[in-house]
Amino acid sequence: MPRAVRGLLIECDPSIKSMILKYDEERHDYIVEDLDDENHLVIKESQLQNLKVRLDQVLTAP
Amino acid sequence: MTSATSRPLEYLEGLPGTTFYKLYQQPSTALAIFRRMLPDLVNVAKCFVMALLYLKDPLPTADLEVWVNSESKKERDNALSILGRLHILSTTLTGDNVRAYMITNPFAASLRQALTGAEDSHSFGVFSQAPEHTLTSITDLDEYARRQWEGVMGYMVGTSALSGQRDMVNLSKGVKQLLQAGHLVEIRGNRVDITKDGFGFVLQDVNTQVWHILILYVESAEAIGMDSVEVLSFLFLLSSLELGSSYDKSHMTPNQLRTLMDLADFGIVYQEHADATRFYPTRLATTLTSDSSALSNPVTGSLTGPAGPSGGSGSGFIIIETNYRLYAYTSSPLQISLISLFTNLKYRFPNLVTGKITRQSVRRAIEMGITADQIISYLLSHAHPQLRKHSAAQPNGKGVPASVLPPTVTDQIRLWQLERDRLRATAGFLFKDFTSLAEYQAPCQYAAEIGVLVWKSDRKRMFFVTRHEQVAAFLRSQKVGGK
Repeated sequence: MPRAVRGLLIECDPSIKSMILKYDEERHDYIVEDLDDENHLVIKESQLQNLKVRLDQVLTAP
Repeated sequence: MTSATSRPLEYLEGLPGTTFYKLYQQPSTALAIFRRMLPDLVNVAKCFVMALLYLKDPLPTADLEVWVNSESKKERDNALSILGRLHILSTTLTGDNVRAYMITNPFAASLRQALTGAEDSHSFGVFSQAPEHTLTSITDLDEYARRQWEGVMGYMVGTSALSGQRDMVNLSKGVKQLLQAGHLVEIRGNRVDITKDGFGFVLQDVNTQVWHILILYVESAEAIGMDSVEVLSFLFLLSSLELGSSYDKSHMTPNQLRTLMDLADFGIVYQEHADATRFYPTRLATTLTSDSSALSNPVTGSLTGPAGPSGGSGSGFIIIETNYRLYAYTSSPLQISLISLFTNLKYRFPNLVTGKITRQSVRRAIEMGITADQIISYLLSHAHPQLRKHSAAQPNGKGVPASVLPPTVTDQIRLWQLERDRLRATAGFLFKDFTSLAEYQAPCQYAAEIGVLVWKSDRKRMFFVTRHEQVAAFLRSQKVGGK
């Protein structure tokens, strides 16, 4: 039986994807579905801002 | 121009069917939606409407499908889906149980009435018969629209305080409240702070801005006790009026008069004073539902061009060099503060500001919510004629004129944005758990045809779409058909 799940499709570099996977390991509160290819995954809509902030902090560190 | 068309379209699609039913009672609304809301890409949709409009009986789906070449199936389905979302087209069953298309009724009747002109319901406004004491020319109207609209922009960017020499536009309380309600500005005490949305807003072209404001207005109309349907159909009425003519106010309802007052503050309509018996639509109103290319020149040229007398298209004033230096021949405080959003300004002369676009300045702009494309399109639409001449004179080897802006600069601005935006997010729905490949393929293909498919994986039998309603309906109909 096919199902539809609401979420945000994220398109990014493999490096970013592995960071998101790592964040998700902590409390499993980001990912809806890991799409199993190098640069796509579906996350919860509410977590986008949070994720952006976290990535920004790491990536723009001096 | 997609952004200009999509926002009103998206807004309309979100309205309930009963609203459409009420809206389509007015011939002017039906015509305006037909002219403008069906974006240029889907001229097919207009053809369908015209072909079906005067048919007595619904047209079987198979017959309509024959009209379209099999390679253009995607365009056809896209067109049908848009018509369905706007409640223009509906499917019924004919007597012998064949699925058939027909134009829905209030829309069909109104559009026919609009096309043949057989109407007396004042749907297209009534010309003012009163003798004109003071003739208001088109130039006056353009000047008025420009002054009011630039006043609104200036208020948002916070320039009106700086510019002592310019005649200040008195913005009414309603305008300020609307901007605040739309989260374009935030008011803290006496200070006006522009928001992220506001930054994106001021860099857009004028037509998109006007639509944005009007949609905000319609949304807020309910809150102050006006019927949003009435306001919306009045806006469509305004858009079908003629520039330079005056219209009679005596046939209008109190709510329409109130809307008129509010719109005068934005420069969308002009009236000599609040009790005048007539009003004039300005170019901001009359170009709302016309072809977008026709409107971008006269108004944008005079609205956003330099403060000097040179109006019209081609009045760009920005020069960018390949070393990221920027020279802007303007003394307009509005333009200077817009440029300073993404440039490090260095010197200011009476008619010239110079600065440099740097990684830091672009990042600052992007953090405020401005996109690289917005910056580039702003620079492009205000490029100095010298830059254009230069690019036209230098074909890049293949007879194609070189780009107006230095490619190094535009590429670098995009790269600076990418550096910050490492991921791209699309909201939507993931379809999964298909039991067989065949069961997966049909809806996936259907989603691609109606243009909602973003991603798919044949191996995992999953696909991601931006809208799920139609795909879900398709899945249901398949299940019924299969058993």
